[in-house]
Amino acid sequence: MPQLDLETISRRFGAVTALDGVSLSLRPGEVHALMGENGAGKSTLIRVLAGLDRPDEGRIMLGGEEIPPGQPAAMREAGLRFIHQELHAVKGLSVAENMHLDHPYPRRAGLVNWGALNAAASEALARLGLETIDPRAPMTDLGPGDQMLVRIASTLIADGDRPAWLYVMDEPTAALTSGESERLFTVIGQLIGQGGGVLYVSHRMPEVLRLADRVTVLRDGRHVSTRPLSETGEARIIEEMTGRDLSALFPPRRSDATPGEVVLRVEQLSAGPLEEATFELRAGEVLGVAGIAGSGRGALLRALVGEQSRSDGTVTLDGRTLNGGPKQAWRGGMAYVPRERRSEGLMLRRAIFENVALPHLSGLARLRYFLDHRRQRRVARDLGGQVQLKAASITQACEELSGGNQQKVLFARALAGAPKVLLLDEPTRGVDIGARSELYRLIRELSDAGLAVVMASSDLPELLGLSDRIAIMRDGRLSEFVEAEGLTEAELLSRFYHLSKEEQAA
Amino acid sequence: MMQVARRFGGVAGMLAVIAFFAINLPETFLTPRNLLNISQQISMLTVVAATMTVVMVMGDFDLSVGSMASLSGVVAAILFTQDWSVPAAVGVALAVGLAGGLFNGIVVSVVGILPFVATLATLTVFSGLAFVVSDGRTIFGRDIPPGFGDFARGGPVIGMADERALVLPNLTLVAIAVVLVIWIVLEQTSYGRRLYAIGGNRDAARLAGIPVVPLRLSAFAFTGVGAALAGLMYASRVASANPTQGDGLMLTAIAAVFLGMTLTRDGQPKVLATLAGVAVLGVLDNGLTQMRVDSYVREVLVGAIILFAVGLSALGRRGAARRR
Ligand SMILES: Nc1ncnc2c1ncn2[C@@H]1O[C@H](COP(=O)(O)OP(=O)(O)OP(=O)(O)O)[C@@H](O)[C@H]1O
Ligand SMILES: [Mg+2]
Repeated sequence: MPQLDLETISRRFGAVTALDGVSLSLRPGEVHALMGENGAGKSTLIRVLAGLDRPDEGRIMLGGEEIPPGQPAAMREAGLRFIHQELHAVKGLSVAENMHLDHPYPRRAGLVNWGALNAAASEALARLGLETIDPRAPMTDLGPGDQMLVRIASTLIADGDRPAWLYVMDEPTAALTSGESERLFTVIGQLIGQGGGVLYVSHRMPEVLRLADRVTVLRDGRHVSTRPLSETGEARIIEEMTGRDLSALFPPRRSDATPGEVVLRVEQLSAGPLEEATFELRAGEVLGVAGIAGSGRGALLRALVGEQSRSDGTVTLDGRTLNGGPKQAWRGGMAYVPRERRSEGLMLRRAIFENVALPHLSGLARLRYFLDHRRQRRVARDLGGQVQLKAASITQACEELSGGNQQKVLFARALAGAPKVLLLDEPTRGVDIGARSELYRLIRELSDAGLAVVMASSDLPELLGLSDRIAIMRDGRLSEFVEAEGLTEAELLSRFYHLSKEEQAA
Repeated sequence: MMQVARRFGGVAGMLAVIAFFAINLPETFLTPRNLLNISQQISMLTVVAATMTVVMVMGDFDLSVGSMASLSGVVAAILFTQDWSVPAAVGVALAVGLAGGLFNGIVVSVVGILPFVATLATLTVFSGLAFVVSDGRTIFGRDIPPGFGDFARGGPVIGMADERALVLPNLTLVAIAVVLVIWIVLEQTSYGRRLYAIGGNRDAARLAGIPVVPLRLSAFAFTGVGAALAGLMYASRVASANPTQGDGLMLTAIAAVFLGMTLTRDGQPKVLATLAGVAVLGVLDNGLTQMRVDSYVREVLVGAIILFAVGLSALGRRGAARRR
């Protein structure tokens, strides 16, 4: 296979320069990591490469010949396959059909050959060890992690005489658990072994250090460096990405930790998959919620905010019982950052400030009902500053922001009402390391000032670095609470599984 | 850039329509009297389209407004035949509108039927009720109290032209009041912004603590009352009521909202833009009628112009999307 060259690609969106003369060579047989902060231009570069976006300048060359820009079919023809950053599942279509969205359906006598369609899907799924997923099931029955795996699998479907050789993955592990990620890494190893190449984007440093052969760093749309992994390392990559030294990602805990008043009391709470959760949370405490996928981390948060209607139990916030939906929870001083920022969080086509103000409209209004536009904007601007939001202006539509900055809009929204309890579901998914350290610092500052935080996460360093206590969940139950101080990742992980083994033995 | 072209393209198109008639009808078109006349002609449509905007910001529709307008007209007229006073009969007709709107709201938001299907069904229901209530007759003449019919013909005098008084029609005043109320509700209250939020992303709105179900339900009350009010205005203007006279309002109102959406920066429904859409349709209708264009040809032309405007804006939007 020849190599693919991106030559001085530039792309501007109005006043924003997303890419500024970026050149890159992609070769078969290696994993090329693309690193950069949120908004550095990684996804834009990938969209250009996929033909979904036309560059203002620059060319894409395959073995010395130019590929016409802006034509997804031409890129496919050249053997490229893509996994884009945001999840898109077509409702109403089966897993197999979703996997064939950009492939021709197998046909027989002009009609869809359903057997072959499902067989091709099964085969690709099997390569990722996903035999348990039925290709005929509706896509929307799957959880977000499985949906991502299905999308990854769909790039593996062989189609005829146009072999794929370059797989482009934009944050493929953002929605995956560590076990699921491992399966992906195995497949990446196989692809490389068969002479394929991978362009890999991730904000998770350990993955990059483990997988990459070469690392390219982008900053503010400009190419900073491309080096073999052997000539660079974590510290250097971070320095090049951020221009800062971020050796202390997690801010230190306060030493004089006097426990605060109990602000949240949960008793025997059952809702959907969640069963009989009981715990107390004190002001200033950060409670991590850990567990394998499907253990009920997200369900716990959804039950607390009242999205999942409860079958039993009580939630008491600051002495008041909550028994309504999300509206009452926000009123009572709870704030929620959902896991799926695009489908559950943002009004994508609306301005940043409107998204920030959404749950607080009454509080920001005059005489309760009449809007105070100026105040809304001021609050959004202040909080945008506090979370270090990078945007042209607060009237910009959220769909124009990079993934990490969209997440910061949701943080700004959560903090705008001065909450007492903050619920975070995968708070730094897709957030770059620089912004992540800012968010960590922010969470720590807020908790020092008395905010209680419940944080569900699949990111072990984050759980260990930020939590005071960690609640471990299994099968919808809170099975154990552990002090985070001094715990190691291996110890934490072993607790996820230990319990299951004991149970199996019993 | 494209957005600027798109928006000003819309405005330019409207000005072109007005200029066209002004040139072709130099004597009669751009006179204060004709403009006041147009304002009266479009007042009913304005009321229906403005209230339709309230549900359309949530991404919903109300197809039942036309038959609700017919129903409220015949309800008032039937009460007149029973010697009810004008305020009482009008009050009952508006209450019927409120009830119908809330019923639509319940079916759409509590039961969860798609608004297209739900309001298509209530369209038939209201229309049938209008026939039942009126026995299929047109109610007119002495049955309609003079006070009711005179309302539409009256209005404050605002000047003189050609030695006749220029009257600002009462119906126009009603329409202005409705637009003002809807503008305040949608643009200046947190209630209105929450409706926009529901249109922006319903799940996100709910998770951010917006009570989606009651809000959606309540918004349909606006279309119900608006339609009933328009039906009364219509009945007053023609001093009669029959069970089909409001039926044409629904499609035109939705078309006006869509026309208006082509003028807004982000393609959202906005009540002032809707008003501009109504005005374009009204001007077209008035101008073409004055030019003695056959009424069927007129329909073809109006339909084509709507397609053209909305199509142009869709193309512009696609251009904007491509840049992403
Ligand atoms: N359609 C658009 N309109 C305006 N600006 C855009 C658009 N798409 C991207 N941008 C801007 O281009 C820049 C690069 O965005 P991009 O999505 O490529 O970042 P990224 O490196 O993938 O970030 P992340 O890690 O958060 O996914 C950002 O400043 C973003 O706001
Ligand atoms: Mg990205």
